[in-house]
Amino acid sequence: MTEVKAELVGNLWKIVVEVGQAVEEDDTLMILESMKMEIPITTPTSGTVQQILVAEGEVVQEGQTVAVID
Amino acid sequence: MSEARDIPGLDELTAALADRRARSVAMGGTERIAQQHARHKLTARERIHLLFDADTFVEFGVLAHQHSMTGAVTEPERTPADGVITGEGLIDGRRVYCAAYDFTVMAGSMGMIGEQKVARLRRKAMLNRLPMIWLLDSAGARIQEAAGSTFAGSGALFFEQVQMSGVVPQVAAMLGPCAAGTAYIPGLADFVPMVKDTSSMSLGGARLVKAATGEETTDHDMGGSQVHCYVSGVGDLEVDDDPACITAVRDYLSYLPSNNREAAPRRQTSDRRDRRIDDLEKIVPTNPRAAYDMRKVVKRLADDGQVFEVKPTFARNIITALVHFNGQSAGIVASQPMIKGGALDIDAADKAARFVWLCDAFNVPLVFLQDVPGFIVGTEVEKQGIIRHGAKMLYAVSEATVPKVTVVLRKAYGAGYYVMCGRGYEPDTLVAWPTAEVSVMGPEGAVDIIFTKQIAAADDPAAARAEYAAAIRQTIDPFIAASWAMIDDIIDPADTRRVIIDALEGAETKRQRRAWRKHGVPPV
Repeated sequence: MTEVKAELVGNLWKIVVEVGQAVEEDDTLMILESMKMEIPITTPTSGTVQQILVAEGEVVQEGQTVAVID
Repeated sequence: MSEARDIPGLDELTAALADRRARSVAMGGTERIAQQHARHKLTARERIHLLFDADTFVEFGVLAHQHSMTGAVTEPERTPADGVITGEGLIDGRRVYCAAYDFTVMAGSMGMIGEQKVARLRRKAMLNRLPMIWLLDSAGARIQEAAGSTFAGSGALFFEQVQMSGVVPQVAAMLGPCAAGTAYIPGLADFVPMVKDTSSMSLGGARLVKAATGEETTDHDMGGSQVHCYVSGVGDLEVDDDPACITAVRDYLSYLPSNNREAAPRRQTSDRRDRRIDDLEKIVPTNPRAAYDMRKVVKRLADDGQVFEVKPTFARNIITALVHFNGQSAGIVASQPMIKGGALDIDAADKAARFVWLCDAFNVPLVFLQDVPGFIVGTEVEKQGIIRHGAKMLYAVSEATVPKVTVVLRKAYGAGYYVMCGRGYEPDTLVAWPTAEVSVMGPEGAVDIIFTKQIAAADDPAAARAEYAAAIRQTIDPFIAASWAMIDDIIDPADTRRVIIDALEGAETKRQRRAWRKHGVPPV
């Protein structure tokens, strides 16, 4: 089980995967809007999306777990 | 006529010498050498063989062995060279000094005689103004020789390293453990490659940590490359094995002069100075919010696509790399929009400041590639001291008197524009791509500050806000900066390599002297 964490604070703009979806290492799970940039949050491992712990429009903190991959 | 005595002839004496030398060169013996190899490590002498040009290594102190002033029992037979091989030789035809700790002799521990040998090397490095290399694979200070208050006389090695800093290049290659205070050797060196899995460094080894605080850990968990090359930033480059580490040392030195009074080296290249790079527009999106991998840009700009990245796995939101431009060695500091949008944080500022100080100390020109949305803001980074770390980067870039060239690819916002060598920081040439956005802040941030009252008073605040933001966006335009001659030119991205080379050549005779001072008071 891998917790995917946000690298910096920002607005969660878009979630591009769903719970249950299979993902490959480095796939984009969601996109943060921060520092005038669209910053992808990618998965460090391949697996299945077990949980999505945030919603679009929410402010995400640095180090916050946003998804769980297994 | 003299009385007949049993005086040995020269043949006999030289045979005895050869025998002693052979015993010393045999290091800790076949069994320990086999153990060293079983740990996937080369011996100190094998490393030296790889490091130097063939047949150029000259050793000092091969016949030395352990002694003790404290009356401890010494074992001359078991301590060939006293556990450290010291000498000089050529790397790509240039002389350097090297101390290689021999883990097969008392775990490479640092004994009194061995340290006298290394001290002699440091002195020679300074007298001759030539680089110093440590190949570290050592359990640390040899406690049986050092325990007790004779410690009061020790420690000059670090003082000397500080005096050497910025005068001669210092490389500390981590090829095994480097525990306790000796970890300050890499701590003070300019370049610290680390071998994955087998190397570690920590101020206290695992056993000392257990005794001092009760914490249970291992040398590897605490101080392996997975910590120092990714999290702490003490390591500069993680490499897979000993040969790769030695190659990294040779490569690194090829970009630097032998001392601070020499020009940075040049080399031959067949890469054309005016080579156009037509696929840059495919790499760099014109949509300013989209990310891309700046390493691809760096690779295309550099001679022959050869890039030597320093700290590639630490603070990846900024790239620091040694390259050549038309044969001239140069340092690149580039934003990395792929990581954290290229925004700067404390680690990125540290990484860039150290690299700029390194290049400036050794006359290596600097090229800045800007695509920076600014420094990350907020409560978290303030607690981390973003102001003093950001100030440190400003400080290093301001101090640098080597030729400086700045290219603004896209974003150049706020203090990000300053620390990446904006106009105020004495770039010899400052150019922008047509996609450049130079501004104190983006329209979305500025609109709420400038037009707060107007937006609040509007019938449709959202529409008003969008309208004001669009108006601000109109003012963010590189042609405005160019029309005020604040930037030197706007260039076709495909010509970037030629423009950088022209700029570096134009600044070759640059001589900048600052006002005298003992030293500044740099923020850390």
